[in-house]
Amino acid sequence: MQFQSRSYEAESISAVQELYHSNGWTDGLPIVPPTEEAVKECLDWAMMPPDQLIGIEPVRGLAITAEKIAINAVMAGCLPMHFPVVLTAWTAMMQEEFLMHGATASTGGCAVLVVLNGPIRLEIGAAGSFNALGNSDRATAVIGRAVRLCLINLMDVRPGVIDRSTLGHPGKFSYCLAEDEEGTDWDPLHVVRGVERAASAVTVMAAGAPRQLMNEWTTKPEEILETFAAEMRANMRHYSIHPGNYAIVIPQQLREHLQAAKWTKKDIANFIHERARIHRREWADVGKGAVVRDRGDSVYTAMESPDQLLVIAAGGPAGGFGAVIPPWLGNKSHAVTVPVGVCVDCEPPKK
Amino acid sequence: MTFRVLDPTPGTAPPVGQLAPRLDTLKGKKVGFISNGKEGTKGFFRHLEQILKDDYGVAEVVFRTKSNYSAPADPHIADEIKTWDAVVSGLGD
Repeated sequence: MQFQSRSYEAESISAVQELYHSNGWTDGLPIVPPTEEAVKECLDWAMMPPDQLIGIEPVRGLAITAEKIAINAVMAGCLPMHFPVVLTAWTAMMQEEFLMHGATASTGGCAVLVVLNGPIRLEIGAAGSFNALGNSDRATAVIGRAVRLCLINLMDVRPGVIDRSTLGHPGKFSYCLAEDEEGTDWDPLHVVRGVERAASAVTVMAAGAPRQLMNEWTTKPEEILETFAAEMRANMRHYSIHPGNYAIVIPQQLREHLQAAKWTKKDIANFIHERARIHRREWADVGKGAVVRDRGDSVYTAMESPDQLLVIAAGGPAGGFGAVIPPWLGNKSHAVTVPVGVCVDCEPPKK
Repeated sequence: MTFRVLDPTPGTAPPVGQLAPRLDTLKGKKVGFISNGKEGTKGFFRHLEQILKDDYGVAEVVFRTKSNYSAPADPHIADEIKTWDAVVSGLGD
């Protein structure tokens, strides 16, 4: 296998670390040495040659090859079986509607949330239960990290270079979770978003940090979901009023009440869409009166329509803790779902 | 133990656009401003317009605003640039 990348010799594992840190090629944490053998194993697993073009980033025109993604995936700690998921996440991120350059360069400081669905979750050991938004398992940890290392090294998304984030958030180290499909009778996210149930899929979303909430004092769906809607209203007041893709993460304890009452994801999205809305004048309550102007009576919804809400079943079995994950900034970027192993540009030319 | 490891970066610089030839003078010229739409551009560009007209004799200043401040300029704006002598693209943060 012939690689295009320049290679370096390092005398020890410490020397490898210093080589990569000193060149600005890491996220500050130690990396796994991307040897030719390890990179080849990833490419072999995906049955791809090194120069396979994964896509061209639409704004700066950078060509992204399988070889470069594999190098960064190995550095992040990925095993070969994780590599197709990283490739799929990157394929999704390069779709125009995701607006990768804007989302990763913005002062807004969002991260790329990666949601895994379908059988591949079980094959790679991605868990959607305990600590779902934290260090829940090896697979989601390294896949999320690989996405970030690729941004750093392939797109120059380094702090102060392309990445102009004012604050950023911890999800910029790794922000990946698997849906707990076995722990719910709801349709998985990829099915809701139009992918075959039997397929595996990756959804990416330019996402702010999760906002945790708690409601353990009711079994009524409307009251449980009102807490989620209230957190979204708070985000609209304190952060951005503009509608876009929000995600909500509902843990098992709360799901059981909703499922017992026969609420589907669609019912949830419809309810949230009705409740998560504010008047522009509410900005005056939180110090933003200067931009209310003459539009105080205008009503803003968190999403343009219910289908902009990504409802995700995940979280440990005990605890009424849920999360709202807000969009980077309204509709500037849209969530994208891509099935694993499917070429998105392979349709025959249209006549 | 010696490791042979691979460079994780593209190794080549991204394609870059070329600057248009510089104008000899701004006097009598038509200058376009492309705003990203953020609040800060309004006052800044109006002030810059005044300087260009008063101090440099610019004949006309055209203001255009992108529909998405995080994306490249819309195609119709990019097309219109051909009718300007110079263009200023600015951030408003």
